[in-house]
Amino acid sequence: MIQNLVLMGGYGLFVWASFLITFIVCALVFFKTLKTLKKYEREFIKEVNELSAEKRKFVLEKSTVASQVLSSYSKTI
Amino acid sequence: MFDLINPTKVFYLIEKLISFINSIFFILLLIALSFALIFSPPDYLQGDSVRIMYVHVPSAWISLASFTCIALFSIINFIFKTKNLILITKSIAPIGLMFTCLAIVTGSLWGQPTWGTWWEWDARLTSMVILALFYIAFIVSHKLILQEDKANKVSSIIVIIGLINIPIIKYSVDWWNTLHQPASIKLTGSSAIHSSMLMPLLLMFFVMLLYCALIFLMKYKIEIIRIKKKNLKRL
Repeated sequence: MIQNLVLMGGYGLFVWASFLITFIVCALVFFKTLKTLKKYEREFIKEVNELSAEKRKFVLEKSTVASQVLSSYSKTI
Repeated sequence: MFDLINPTKVFYLIEKLISFINSIFFILLLIALSFALIFSPPDYLQGDSVRIMYVHVPSAWISLASFTCIALFSIINFIFKTKNLILITKSIAPIGLMFTCLAIVTGSLWGQPTWGTWWEWDARLTSMVILALFYIAFIVSHKLILQEDKANKVSSIIVIIGLINIPIIKYSVDWWNTLHQPASIKLTGSSAIHSSMLMPLLLMFFVMLLYCALIFLMKYKIEIIRIKKKNLKRL
C-alpha cells in the first residue's frame, strides 16, 4: 500500500512534487507573515513604551488597537 | 455599512478568528490530504496524476476570486473613498499572487504527464500568466509609489484594467481551441466530475480558503498596526 502511495501508478514524481511545492510555499508564506506580524507588534509596543507617561495613558485609553496589541503580545511572550 | 470593517472594531475579532482557524486547521488539512492522496479513486484516463487537481484547481479558483475581490473593492473605494478597503486589498494581493503562481506551477506539473509538455502558450495558460503580472503590478505600485493617495489610484486602475482578464481566463477554454480541458464543475448545470472526486476537491478548497483567511487576517493586522504606528509618530 505504501509503495502504491509513493509511486502513484508511475506519476509519483509529479503528484508529490505538486503537493510538496504547495505545502512548502504555504508554510514559508505563513512563517514569513507571522515573523513580520511579531516584528510590527514588538516595534509598536516599543514605541508606545517610549512615549511619556501622559501620552502613553492617552494612547491606551483612546486606542483599542494599542491596548489589544499590548495585552495580546504579553500573552504570547 | 463600512463601519463594520472599521479596523479598530474588528481588531479583537481578528485575534479570535486567528485562534479559531489555528485550532481546526491542521485536523481539516489531515482529513483533506487523506482523501486527496489515499481515499479518492484514480481517474480512468489520467490515472493517479489526477490527484494534482486537488491542489491545482483550488489554487486557480482562489487566484481568480482574490483578484475579483481586489477589483470590486477598488471600484467601491473609487466611489466611496473607504481607506479600510485599501488595507483589505493590500492584504489580499500577496495571497492571490502566491496561489496564481501555485496554479501555474502545479498546472505545469500536471501538463507534463497529461499533455506531454511542461508549458504551452495557449489561451488559459497565457491569461493566467497575465493575471500574475497584474498582481505583481498591483503589489509593486504600492511598494514603489511613496505618495499613498497616488499609489491607491494607480493600483486601483491596474486592477480595474486587470478585471477584463478574469472572464478571459474563465471562458478561454470555450472561446479558443486550447490544450486545457473545459471546466468540469459548473455552478449552473450538472458537473462532469464524480462525487468521489468532487468531495475531496471541495474539502481541499475549504482548507485552502481557511489558510487564505489566516494569512489575510495576519496581513490585515500588520496593516492596521502599521497605520497605528504612523499615528503614534504624530503625537
